[in-house]
Amino acid sequence: MSVAYAPIVRALGSETALVLVALAVLTLDFIIGRKREVAKRRELVGAVALFGLALSAVPLVGQVGMTNVLLPGETLVVNPLVIIFKFVLIVLTAVTVLISIDHDIGTHVGEYFAMLLFGAIGMLLLVGTEEFLTIFVALELTSISLYVLTAFHKNSLRSQEAALKYFLFGAIATAFLLFGLSYIYGLTGATNLRDIGAALAKKGTDPLLGVGLLCVLVGLGFKVAMVPFHLWAPDAYEGAPTPVTAFIATGSKVASFFVLVKVLMVAFAGAVGSAYWGAFESGWAMVLGLTATASMVLGNCAAIVQRNVKRLLAYSSIAHAGYILVGLVAASSTGATAVLFYVIVYAITNLGAFGVVAALASRAGGDDLEHFNGMAKRAPFLSLLMLVFVLSLAGIPPLGGFFGKFYLFAAAVECDAEMFGLLWLVALGIVMSAVSLYYYLVLMKHMYVLPAKDETRIATPGHLKMALAFCAAGVVLLGVFPEPILALLKALVVRL
Amino acid sequence: MNELVKQQWLIPFLPLVAAAVQALLPRTARKLSAGICLTAMGASCVLALRAFVGTLGHHEAERAVWNFVWFDYGTTRLELGFILDPMTAAMALMVAFVGFWIFVNATGYMSDDENFTRFFCFLSLFAAAMLGLVVANNLLMLFMCWELVGLCSYLLIGFWHFKPSAAAAMKKAFITTRIGDVGFFLGILLLSWQAGTLNLYDGGNGALEQAGALAGIPGWFGWSMATTIAMLLFIGAMGKSAQFPLHVWLPDAMEGPTPVSALIHAATMVAAGVFMVGRMFALFAADTSGLALNIVMWVGCFTALFSATIAVAQFDIKRVLAYSTCSQLGFMMMALGAGGLAPGQFHLLTHAFFKALLFLGSGCVIIGTHHEQDMRKMGGLRKYMPVTFGCYLIGMLALAGVPPFAGFWSKDEVLLVAFQRNKLAWGLATFAAFLTAFYMTRQMFMVFAGKWRGHHEPHEVPWNMWLPIAVLSVFAVGLGFFGAQYGHYLGAHGEDPHGKWIVMGLSVAVGAAGILLGWIVYGRRTMEHADEPDPLAVKLGALFTCLNRKWYVDEFYDATIIRATMLLGELWRAFDKLVIDGILHGIAWMAWGVSQVVRWVGDEFFINGGFDAGCESVRLSGREFAKFQAGRIQGYLRILCLGTVILLVIWYLK
Repeated sequence: MSVAYAPIVRALGSETALVLVALAVLTLDFIIGRKREVAKRRELVGAVALFGLALSAVPLVGQVGMTNVLLPGETLVVNPLVIIFKFVLIVLTAVTVLISIDHDIGTHVGEYFAMLLFGAIGMLLLVGTEEFLTIFVALELTSISLYVLTAFHKNSLRSQEAALKYFLFGAIATAFLLFGLSYIYGLTGATNLRDIGAALAKKGTDPLLGVGLLCVLVGLGFKVAMVPFHLWAPDAYEGAPTPVTAFIATGSKVASFFVLVKVLMVAFAGAVGSAYWGAFESGWAMVLGLTATASMVLGNCAAIVQRNVKRLLAYSSIAHAGYILVGLVAASSTGATAVLFYVIVYAITNLGAFGVVAALASRAGGDDLEHFNGMAKRAPFLSLLMLVFVLSLAGIPPLGGFFGKFYLFAAAVECDAEMFGLLWLVALGIVMSAVSLYYYLVLMKHMYVLPAKDETRIATPGHLKMALAFCAAGVVLLGVFPEPILALLKALVVRL
Repeated sequence: MNELVKQQWLIPFLPLVAAAVQALLPRTARKLSAGICLTAMGASCVLALRAFVGTLGHHEAERAVWNFVWFDYGTTRLELGFILDPMTAAMALMVAFVGFWIFVNATGYMSDDENFTRFFCFLSLFAAAMLGLVVANNLLMLFMCWELVGLCSYLLIGFWHFKPSAAAAMKKAFITTRIGDVGFFLGILLLSWQAGTLNLYDGGNGALEQAGALAGIPGWFGWSMATTIAMLLFIGAMGKSAQFPLHVWLPDAMEGPTPVSALIHAATMVAAGVFMVGRMFALFAADTSGLALNIVMWVGCFTALFSATIAVAQFDIKRVLAYSTCSQLGFMMMALGAGGLAPGQFHLLTHAFFKALLFLGSGCVIIGTHHEQDMRKMGGLRKYMPVTFGCYLIGMLALAGVPPFAGFWSKDEVLLVAFQRNKLAWGLATFAAFLTAFYMTRQMFMVFAGKWRGHHEPHEVPWNMWLPIAVLSVFAVGLGFFGAQYGHYLGAHGEDPHGKWIVMGLSVAVGAAGILLGWIVYGRRTMEHADEPDPLAVKLGALFTCLNRKWYVDEFYDATIIRATMLLGELWRAFDKLVIDGILHGIAWMAWGVSQVVRWVGDEFFINGGFDAGCESVRLSGREFAKFQAGRIQGYLRILCLGTVILLVIWYLK
């Protein structure tokens, strides 16, 4: 079989660029960085990484015309939806780099940025494939980069411990995933999503499918941090350097949810089942209905009692995974649109929130709630941005979080127009959103109401403020005028 | 026109940006704040003028619309849109232009206030909302702007919220108009349900373009659907435009700074109700029975007369003007109800100019007399404030309907359509016009004639306060000619001249009679002391007191609606305390309990090395259980596997 290499090279443009830049970053820091101050090295290397990310967006522009190009075995796919998400991921990585430049990440600067870029490459690959083996490899590339990044506070025991837990948990989840994939392959004889879907449709339900599908869900459920596969998240979020936390909570989530939607809607379209009230039927919708319930309840309730901001945001992100799953349970194209839209909104919002925490915590002496007392006086601009992010997370109109959540819930209500079978899930989601308002407002209380011990102003560099303001603008814009991106996603999801 | 309409959004957008910028300015940046505000308003004014010129050669029914999708979900699509037609263009120009000069005046009036920037922020936001309301081609957008206008009014009436009367007035205005808004909102919902869209014009699919079809569907109370919706919308207009019985808030709203009174409670906001009825006129006129229009006409007519009688017996310079505004709004409503869309809108425009002039003039008087508002303590100001006097005189003559001032032409048109529709309504309105001339003459004599009855010597106001009224007075004189010249512009072409001369003659006659009577009662012998009784009060006795107390409407509301509401409130409070709170606290405690359990099990045991803490509590439960907790990551993995197994079991049992 002869292979045409030209389209492959073209489809892999962004990834290739990032690999080269990652290697360049390593070399650069090795050659000229060693003798300089750490802060200067971060600026220098970070600038190169940023440049590389900008460069990697260029091939995407060239791919815009490619409507649906599938390379052998669908290991590489290029279509507008993929291009959009690759672009989103590159932007998220770029903001993460900007946050990192300002953050103490130890002396291994080159390695840090290289790992960040490697992680990004894994995410790009994950988004751009419809084949299980490639998905697995890309997932591993992402995960391993993130394990290493989590451990980057070399002198902090918490960071080491978090990384180890993250790694062990991830390793087991990956084992489940691989195990499940072997079942799926055994059942269908295929590894790419469309063939699996076709084979399952022909075959009808098989008892073994349950084991295979569930194990795949464990592997992906670990990545998106849904209950009961979430246990690593609070530790990893708290222990990791904050920019890394931001990256785990956003880039990794976006890629994982994207692949989850694709896997479920394409490969397992025949095993939906049902989570309608009183009409439960085995299938992934039922499983996700249950995990969504658990995620929303546990995430929100546990967040209430947290004293640490990063941990609080970790539980909040577990809760948000629950909301997003509600959209998936709808198992419709409107549901999938809502999920993809919300993931983007959520990622921008959370990136901003963690960015603010990263900027303020290191200067305020810690990331417990008490350290944020009186922040509105000490850093008014960043506090204002945090207010925007937090209100969006809580789902207050007109911010992006409100509309995103509205679409998710509306999709769930709409999917069963006669009986409203998913109303129970939506009602729970709304009640839990109300609960969430409590802990978000507690955070705001600390920042805006309680007096600070130390009233000195906190100065933050301009590039950081700009990056975070960009996130806030995105959150507002997606809320006020969601139509362009929503219409785009909707048109593309139909062809998923 | 089709190109111009795509730029309509800029007209409200510029003041909106100005408001946003000012919200962030420090309190000390007074010059900058005023500068931004005036620049934005000026630019809006230029844009509105361009749109206006663009529509000049066009027929009144020609309109350009530009709709765009805001967002859609499933089959529900929410659109917003902008419109450009003569009515819109004229109204937008009026709001922007009058607004601009009021802003100029406010820089003088508010110059001593420490919250100068906040004031201008609210003013800009208000102007943005009002302009948005005017250019909206969509009821949803109109409603949003409508509510914003209401909010700004609330904020500005209570701008001096440390005054208890201002705090009460802001609440009263907000709540009273909110009663109307409920009706308005119901109307919008019903229209959206029936017409399937909230766009007003949409190439044949707009809500107004379906008015004829709606008139054929039965609605509520045996009315047609078109009439039902129109009546609900009219309730909103009654609240906003202070029509009886929802008029009570407007006079109290005079507690706000005077430029606010001029901008909101004379020129623009209260005009929103009239404008909305004009905008939705197709719906009101859809039903051939004319029921909706008749109701509008009689409400307007009654308000015009009712408020005019009250204005006769007020002593506060601004309250006289406030009741006069109510009365004039009644005239406009009456014209609309009589089927005269063009006369109603024309009177709205001219009234905005001369009423803004009068209010700003009264503001000058108040500043000139060191914050005195009681007319009994004024007098003789003609000598001290000649410029203000001149402008005020022009405004007064315009309001009294003396030819050739603007008010004469528009009021004449209003009376003419009333005459053609219903002779009784015309008669009552003509009597109201007589009262108008009388109470304005009374005010002129009390304020400007005779000798100074106050304490400190009054003085003329600075240029930035009198310049706006001078500019406005030019329009109070000249705008009538524009109407006579461009009568067809707003749609008054081919008017039936039947009865034109009778109406015009009588209207001039009653105007002259009112002024004459005013001179006889107040002009021949002016007041000497501030505590001297009003000559009219001597003659009318108890009736005067009754008028002075505004026919006791406020007292009536206090005794009935407000007391009933309070009682109901007490009842609900008891219910709330006993039943709702109980349930709520129960739920709260449950949620807290769950979270504590989650923390205890999830965090303390497995995560936070709760081994130490956890061990203490579980020691009694047995060593084996404690051992299970010993390895933390092992615990996680157990839960992972356990979760998977549980899900598998559920999968296969189902």
